[in-house]
Formats: sequence, structure tokens, C-alpha cells
Amino acid sequence: MEFTVLFLCILVVMAASWWGSRRLALALFSIVLVASVATYLHHATDTLNLSF
Amino acid sequence: MNRSIGVTLNALGLYGIALVLVAAFAGQILLGELPCPLCLLQRVLFAMLAIGPILNIRFGPHPGHYALSLLAAIVGATVSARQILLHIMPRDPGYGSALLGYHYYTWAFISFAAAIVLIAIVLLFDDRLPDDKVARPVRLFASGAVWLMIGLTAINAASTLLECGFKACPDNPTFYELLKRAP
Repeated sequence: MEFTVLFLCILVVMAASWWGSRRLALALFSIVLVASVATYLHHATDTLNLSF
Repeated sequence: MNRSIGVTLNALGLYGIALVLVAAFAGQILLGELPCPLCLLQRVLFAMLAIGPILNIRFGPHPGHYALSLLAAIVGATVSARQILLHIMPRDPGYGSALLGYHYYTWAFISFAAAIVLIAIVLLFDDRLPDDKVARPVRLFASGAVWLMIGLTAINAASTLLECGFKACPDNPTFYELLKRAP
């Protein structure tokens, strides 16, 4: 679900980049980037089985 | 570097990103391998990598636009490196099939690292053209690249909705949640 929302948000950023203003696109990009990092941190809870 | 060359390079970059997303889709459809959460996040970051070139094509090349792509590429490289580390143990088969000896997340890491290097090279030759601030007419080659990326992102959104439905995506998905038949 969260990835569908992320893809839809990126579509909005792309639309803003293509049809809207640059300032709006930069603001939306920042929000989606923070959301992506938060999603990554949420999923990065598995133990890393390193070989060393 | 003049504006025309800059726009052409950015359009080529968009076609390159589109190729990576098409390859991922080909694996998903032809091999029936559904993307895991980290794989989906890498696709998300490839789509975000495209925002900078779209702005460059629309408003003219600008260091700020390249900075957006750099940020997306750094986060993308971090996510793909994480997945490489998850499968670094000897005899670990990895997630999904390998293409030319590497799994998708390894290719993703190479692609994000290559994007960082290429953007740095482009910035090295950036002549700080005057800031347009307003959109300019765009040639078909460049606008086609933008529309291809918008289309691929929309297809990814639909595919992810089919795969995960309205709940959290499973770690190791084997079927499309919304295509599952009721018992």
C-alpha cells in the first residue's frame, strides 16, 4: 500500500515538474524523498546476516 | 555545454532510467517474479531519479535539478546496498533471478552509482546558463522520454496496487493480492 502511495506521489511530482512551477516540484520532491527514506527505515529492521 | 546538448543528455538519461524500469517489469511479467518491498523501493527511487531530468528538459539545465537526482541516487544506492548485504552470505541464492550474473538489486546499485558519477561529470561541464524560470517548448525526443517515464511510473503504481492491495506488501510476495480469488 505504501509503495502504491509513493508511486502516485511521484506521478504528482512529475506532473508538477512538467505542467506546474519549479518551486512546487521542488517542495513536493522533498516531501516524497523524506517519505521514501522513512519507508526504507521502516523496512530496514531485518537482521543483517553478514559473513564476517 | 549549451542548453540543447544539456536537454539531449537529460532525455537520454530518462530513456536509460526507463530501460531499467522496463527490464524490471520484464522480469516480473515474463518470469513471474514479484518485487519485494526493497525492490519496489528501488523502483520508486529510479522514478524519483527522473524528476531532475524532467525539470531540466522543461525549465533548462540547472544545478538544483541535478541536486535532486543526486539525492535520489544516493538514497537508491543505500537501499540497493542494503539488499545486497541481506544476500551476501555464501551460498545465499539471492532474491529473484540473476541477469548477466547479477541480481536486480546489484544492477540497481551499479546504476545509481553510475548516475552519481555521470551527474558529477555533467556538473563539471555546466556553464551556469541563465536561469529560465519559465517553461520552454520541448522537442519530441525529449518530451517522448518524459511521457515514457510518466507512463512507466503509472504502470508501476497500478502493478504495486495489484500486488500489495490495500495492506502492507509481504516480504516475499508470491501472488497478486488483488487477483487472489476468495475462498
